[in-house]
Amino acid sequence: MTRWSNIRVAALFLLPAVVSVVLLRLWPAAIAVHQSLLAPRASSYSLENYLYIFTDPSFLNSVWVTLLFSFIINPLQIAAALGLAILFNNKLPMTGFWRTAVLLPVAIPQSVSAVIWAVAYRPDGLLNSLLQLVGIGPQRFVTSPEQALGSIMLVVSWIGVGYWMTMLIAGLQDIPKSLYESATIDGANGWHKFWYVTLPQLRRPLTFVLVADTVANFLVFAPVNILTGGGPQGSTDLIMNQIYTNAFVNGDQGSAAAATVVLVALVLVIVLIQFRLMGDGSER
Amino acid sequence: MHIIKSGTLVGLTAMFLSSTAGLAMAEPVTINFLTAEADGSFDAAIAAFEAENPDIKVNFETVPFDSMVPTIESRVGGKDSSLDLFLVDTPRVPAMANSGYLRDISDRLGAVEAVASEAAQSVLKYNGTLYALPLWTSTQLMYYNKDLFDAAGIAYPSSDAAARMTYDETVALARQVMAGSDAKYGFVPEQIDRYYQLQPIFEGNGGGTGLTGEGNLTPDVANDKWIAAGKFYSSLFEDGLAPRGIAVDQMQSVFTSGETVFYVTGPWRLKAFDEATNLNFGLAPIPYWTDSKAQTPTDSWAVGISPYAAHPEAALKFAEFITLNPAGVGLVLESIPNVPVNQQAYGPYIDWLAGENPAVGDDLKKIMTYELADTPVPRPRSIGYVAFETVLNRAFSDIRNGSDVASTLQQAQQQLGSQLRRIQ
Repeated sequence: MTRWSNIRVAALFLLPAVVSVVLLRLWPAAIAVHQSLLAPRASSYSLENYLYIFTDPSFLNSVWVTLLFSFIINPLQIAAALGLAILFNNKLPMTGFWRTAVLLPVAIPQSVSAVIWAVAYRPDGLLNSLLQLVGIGPQRFVTSPEQALGSIMLVVSWIGVGYWMTMLIAGLQDIPKSLYESATIDGANGWHKFWYVTLPQLRRPLTFVLVADTVANFLVFAPVNILTGGGPQGSTDLIMNQIYTNAFVNGDQGSAAAATVVLVALVLVIVLIQFRLMGDGSER
Repeated sequence: MHIIKSGTLVGLTAMFLSSTAGLAMAEPVTINFLTAEADGSFDAAIAAFEAENPDIKVNFETVPFDSMVPTIESRVGGKDSSLDLFLVDTPRVPAMANSGYLRDISDRLGAVEAVASEAAQSVLKYNGTLYALPLWTSTQLMYYNKDLFDAAGIAYPSSDAAARMTYDETVALARQVMAGSDAKYGFVPEQIDRYYQLQPIFEGNGGGTGLTGEGNLTPDVANDKWIAAGKFYSSLFEDGLAPRGIAVDQMQSVFTSGETVFYVTGPWRLKAFDEATNLNFGLAPIPYWTDSKAQTPTDSWAVGISPYAAHPEAALKFAEFITLNPAGVGLVLESIPNVPVNQQAYGPYIDWLAGENPAVGDDLKKIMTYELADTPVPRPRSIGYVAFETVLNRAFSDIRNGSDVASTLQQAQQQLGSQLRRIQ
């Protein structure tokens, strides 16, 4: 084949992906940037929408809440997913059942999960009944500014941890057993094997899980919308909820688009930092 | 259920001008009708309409109450031609009309004037243009649990408007009943966190609607009267008279379970309460503030046509059938017994509703007739109403959950100021 025919074949194979990226990613992103620069009733570009959101206390609060949420939930979810992956990667009785049980919430729509948790979080709900059994008084959960964000984290983790666990189990099963045998011969204990064999070998799947989990948690919406609406006192008002409220409740497309651009920029910066931290240096 | 008897329908028919003059439909069309009502609630009306108009099919769509605004914003805002008509909460008409989300239907003004009062017509218009057809209005009732009063050995509250209790008297009475019975809650407004139901507590205290100035675009929600009302509202939850952590759509369970002394909601809950086992309830007028005039929430859904509707004429024809045609109005009421806006339909409606609920029928008729005539206070009309309601509903939620009342309302005032300036 000639060079040009090779290029044509490559272009043909790439076409669906390129078209999809342009239509589903780049075009909507361009529209968002365009709208973010158009103030209400304006016909020329300006930064008014950005000035508005950055002087709006509720948006600034949502940025802070989103960062707090991400800094807590991402390490927690990844640690839980890794712990479960290691646990279920061993030959435990009924491992398949336990893996399925942990993964199952992923198959339930987030909105349905949130409704189920709303019932559990009621003052007369399941969770308070369980707490009562172990002698703990009733908790307010989603109606308490101190507990609401944690309650949302619990729901989001219940949904997501099983999914990330599955990714990590696949990574664990790719680690050659010979590495563990060598480590055993060298006298390594369980902790040494985890630290010097498992973790380095899991770098690639862990990087994927870290990045994908971070992005997913920046985009959490349904549990917040259904359980708290962003309250109490804005304590669960993640940026996605702000964007939704501005765009679809208040009809303020400009500020919603500006907030979307800010969110994407925030996610990009954090993901770039994660890639830098998780890289093994080989590409440098 | 045979709620509107055939004789009644004939009577209603005689009172209205039929507005079902057929439009020539070249091909069968399907119109999409968006509501926040339960599946099946318009089935009878749709079947009758389709029988009369074989060229038109009606596709009923429903979303949760809280999703109506976002769904309309997304679909009509996105110029979605597949949405033809939808229910509109009347205080939102100015904002939606201002955003270009409602079709001008002023050519139907004559038919609306024939059935609706001037007040009822005014909420369908913006800048003198008619944007919606009148479906329902509303009022609120205070239900009480008779068994709890009996257990406490306390006489039932009066159903007479003249003997209407103040909020303080109501709470004091609720506490007495709670002390003498196994009641769990004393005084529960069903639509917690919603301006519609809380307006009588806040505006009724003399602090205004919350919006002032030209076009009602200046917020006034942090004045002394509003703060005092907010403290009262907060105390209901702080003192355990009302529950925290239960969503609006699950709230009725605290009354049907027999654990609540007073419960405020609309007549649309009568059927559910009647069917609840071991619930023996009575009715009283909702409370008022000492030294203030009693006021009750009012207004409800109307029907609007999307300016981007693929089949606007067919949509309008169906909208007229369920709002202006007596047969259509009656069929909708069979499933959803809300108060018809139609003045002449009210008499047959209230007689039927009282007959359907014989245990409270006389009190129901007396209270509703009085409240609808003498105490309704509409929500403020403003192109900023949606933003106003959104910010306030969040503030109510925070107050209910224990936030400091004054600072929460001041924060809402600032946020509203900023948002309403942007709308101007």
